[in-house]
Amino acid sequence: MDVTEVINITKPSRSRGYEDEDDDSDIEMLGNNHNDGEFTNNNSSIVTPGELITEDPIWMKGHGTYFIEDKTYSSVAGNVSRVNRLLSVIPIRGRYQPETGDHIVGRITEVGNKRWKVDIGAKQDAVLMLGSVNLPGGILRRKSETDELQMRNFLKEGDLLNAEVQTIFNNGIASLHTRSLKYGKLRNGMFLKVPSSLIIKSKNHAFDLPGNISCVLGVNGYIWLYKTNLNNQNNNTTNINIHNNGASPAITRLEEESSWEIYSDKNDSNITNAIRSNITRYYNIIKALSFCELGITEPRIIMGYESSLSYMNVGSLIDKDSMETICQEIINNEKMRG
Amino acid sequence: MSRMEIYSPEGLRLDGRRWNELRRFESKINTHPNSSDGSSYVEQGNTKVICMVQGPMEPSSRSQADSTKATIEVNLSVASFSTFERKKRSKSEKRMVELKATLERTFEQSVMCHLYPRTLIQVDVTVLAQDGGLLASVTNAITLALIDAGIAMYDYVSCISVGLYDQTPLLDLNGLEEKDISTLTIGVIGKTEKLALLMLEDKIPLDNLESILGIAIAATHRLRDLMDDEVRKHGNVRASKLAKN
Repeated sequence: MDVTEVINITKPSRSRGYEDEDDDSDIEMLGNNHNDGEFTNNNSSIVTPGELITEDPIWMKGHGTYFIEDKTYSSVAGNVSRVNRLLSVIPIRGRYQPETGDHIVGRITEVGNKRWKVDIGAKQDAVLMLGSVNLPGGILRRKSETDELQMRNFLKEGDLLNAEVQTIFNNGIASLHTRSLKYGKLRNGMFLKVPSSLIIKSKNHAFDLPGNISCVLGVNGYIWLYKTNLNNQNNNTTNINIHNNGASPAITRLEEESSWEIYSDKNDSNITNAIRSNITRYYNIIKALSFCELGITEPRIIMGYESSLSYMNVGSLIDKDSMETICQEIINNEKMRG
Repeated sequence: MSRMEIYSPEGLRLDGRRWNELRRFESKINTHPNSSDGSSYVEQGNTKVICMVQGPMEPSSRSQADSTKATIEVNLSVASFSTFERKKRSKSEKRMVELKATLERTFEQSVMCHLYPRTLIQVDVTVLAQDGGLLASVTNAITLALIDAGIAMYDYVSCISVGLYDQTPLLDLNGLEEKDISTLTIGVIGKTEKLALLMLEDKIPLDNLESILGIAIAATHRLRDLMDDEVRKHGNVRASKLAKN
């Protein structure tokens, strides 16, 4: 009895899947094409856990690898990246990895001793120290014990905020700050979550969109769509007019705006139905982009909005067909513009 | 009808397989991309299992946080319609608790837990249909889901059940066979001969153990290849999609 012989059966190849009526030659063609594709893919092919990457001890071992006796193996399924002498494997899927300077959207999960815990979709919750938020009363205000006691009046469990990653501690926990007027509590809108790999890092992650909607595109894949704050905009323009040497409006307005209002829980009273339906329209467009696994950027959202205007009913945008049509239109649009 | 033969003199089993023949193995990866970090679906013959992995994430209670490594929590739920007779199964059943503990211990060894301190990796397994080799299918499904979640592992853990009928080892037992003969389930790390899991609920003569382990290890290596094919297929599809954008 041969002990190493194992018989197994597998499903016949997929090529006879859905086009049964095609004649045989066509099916064979399909099969051939498929093989060709695989072959060309081979040099950029992925590695899987336990696969030997190199036996050369000269490489430094980065993330996603481990080594036994100078041989480097992969520990995740993903693409090999070689930077100088550093060898690492970037997993195909995975949680968001915070980096200093990322503009993110998060949700408070816990109020603790002089700090808030914030869920940012990473492996561990981030911390937001009481010292790294703007409190009512201006920039030079000192944090007192009363502030510690009324932390829940500023931000409480479940509140959404946008912030910037200040540092990453050695243990991988991110520390956030909201010391600018573009950061802080979020109101007047709707939350949406997409895979963080789809967000393409850019200079600006908060922008205004056509239709009186603004958007915070968190690098962590958390997105906030809200009504554009018109007051804010007017202030901005006047401020810029006054200080036309380009001084940042964020600092000049800090004192006047740092009132309790920035931590208010009340939505604006004048959110019209049109704005609500625009928010959902953008929501569905971003959903469509994520469904087709297109990277999400400001121009793409705007293009999606333009092509979605032919759909009167916002709800019909989440049909599979319309999602695919919209994404196809976006791709075509980009090709035309080059 | 007279009692069926487990292994006929012609060398065929109840379902027509030979002694060293696996059942149809089919797996899918990333089946629930929106509701989990990693997911998989495994069919081994008529045993069908769904697995979803959440994490590594912040543990819901402080007690689950270990400052040196990740905690792995396995929740095993067996659907009441998974067998012929409909039966409600509770999670506190002794057998379920034992399976859960076995799985947790297995994956604590093969997942690189030290890379994810103070986090929780939550594994939710649902058994949709069972026809023998439950532990094996569940282990394979968890392996695939963990890989899909991008969690670092030393290698695949592939798992198979094998029984002993008289002197003949029978590979990948189905439900009927499992009822009648003693069964050994082993999980192997990658293409090595290192066992991550060994479960024997009844007795097997010691002198037969070697041949049983031999065939079982060969089978797990075959299963690893099958799972690896699926992961690669999925990975290349994703890679080409990303390249397009």
